[in-house]
Amino acid sequence: MRDGIALARLGIPALAFVTEDFWAQGNFVAQAAGMPEVPRFELPHPVAGTGRAAMQALAEKIAAGVIARLSAP
Amino acid sequence: MSALLSAADEEAALEQLHAARCTDGLPVVIPTAPRVARMVLAGGLDADLVIGEMGPLGGVATVEKIAVAAVMAGCLPDYLPVVLAACRAICQPAFDLSEMQATTHCIAPLVIVNGPARAACGLAHSHGLLGPGHRANASIGRALRLAMINIGGARPGESDMALHGSPAKFTCCMAEDEASSPLPPLHTSLGYAAEESAVTVVGVESPHSVFFTGDADDPQCAERLLETLAAVIANPGSNNSHLGGTAAVVVMLNPDHARVLTAAGLDRAAIQRELATRAVTPRSRLAALNTKMLMGIGDPLPAVRDPAKVLVLTAGGSGLYSVVFPSWCAGPHGNVAVHEAIVLGQACAVPWANGGVR
Repeated sequence: MRDGIALARLGIPALAFVTEDFWAQGNFVAQAAGMPEVPRFELPHPVAGTGRAAMQALAEKIAAGVIARLSAP
Repeated sequence: MSALLSAADEEAALEQLHAARCTDGLPVVIPTAPRVARMVLAGGLDADLVIGEMGPLGGVATVEKIAVAAVMAGCLPDYLPVVLAACRAICQPAFDLSEMQATTHCIAPLVIVNGPARAACGLAHSHGLLGPGHRANASIGRALRLAMINIGGARPGESDMALHGSPAKFTCCMAEDEASSPLPPLHTSLGYAAEESAVTVVGVESPHSVFFTGDADDPQCAERLLETLAAVIANPGSNNSHLGGTAAVVVMLNPDHARVLTAAGLDRAAIQRELATRAVTPRSRLAALNTKMLMGIGDPLPAVRDPAKVLVLTAGGSGLYSVVFPSWCAGPHGNVAVHEAIVLGQACAVPWANGGVR
């Protein structure tokens, strides 16, 4: 979240990946950092350790949505 | 000036504080305005003086807000200088408080007190110093935690993402046993004079027991003790072993074990060096355990890269056990120890300020 906030502050298109277990924390950090609307994208939890095939499948599922969010004005 | 809440009575106020997640789950002393004012006066500093900023919320820790935490924790006014020093310490950028509060690891700040403040507060340094029954130890550590909750905004599952938490997250404060220690007081190794008081604060796991039987007839006694301590520091399941050895670890020797080492001619620097050298694990062993998270350099991998980061001190009762506090080994600064002077004698001369009844 903090990386996403730092990039957004620099004016660089950014989308923080936040897993569902950390969604509330992401909201808290965004609020605390004074950027409650900073763009974030919800992923299932967990992602880490789920294996190459599962991550590949997840990447393929979300790629279009991520690109669309990053491309939005 | 802090915002005031209202309630019909103290029982209702307590339930209100619990409901607002302002407590650690245990009952607190209700921080009424007179109690907080008395605590502030005992510190001898302006209520609005800013001590630091506490993350992840970024709350501004004023003397008054810290005094609120001290009242809630059950501190005597005499303890406030230690609580303030501990708060100053964790607000140092090098402590990485925001990251530490938010991590999934079970880290908690250990507060080590040296110098005359130990006696001024009645801090325990011997049997059960980390356990229940010692008001100063319990309430000073608890005040720091309540400040981290209410000023720093750490709430489990929302902003404090520790997967299991830790008993040390309720309170973790102690004094070094300077009188029984064959080593100089820890704070003198950090640049303070013996007659000064200081807190050293480091984020740690709960203590891990180290079992060791001394034998004055065994010429290898110190050698065995060093190997035993190093084996606990280099626990292959710890962050210290896997994440590059950047963190401080605390080695709390009981007085008997401290004397075993000094009798062998080892001073603090030599003990630190010996432990850092021995607390290593073959890369292949760690790589087999955690294939994706091996961040250290070299082979074998050190659990503590810099000997100065092995904090060696003396505390606890006489007997078979010392303790090692492993640590987190993450954050931008790598989980280092920080320290701050404790400023005593600043209290205003108010008759009811130090425990009297107004």
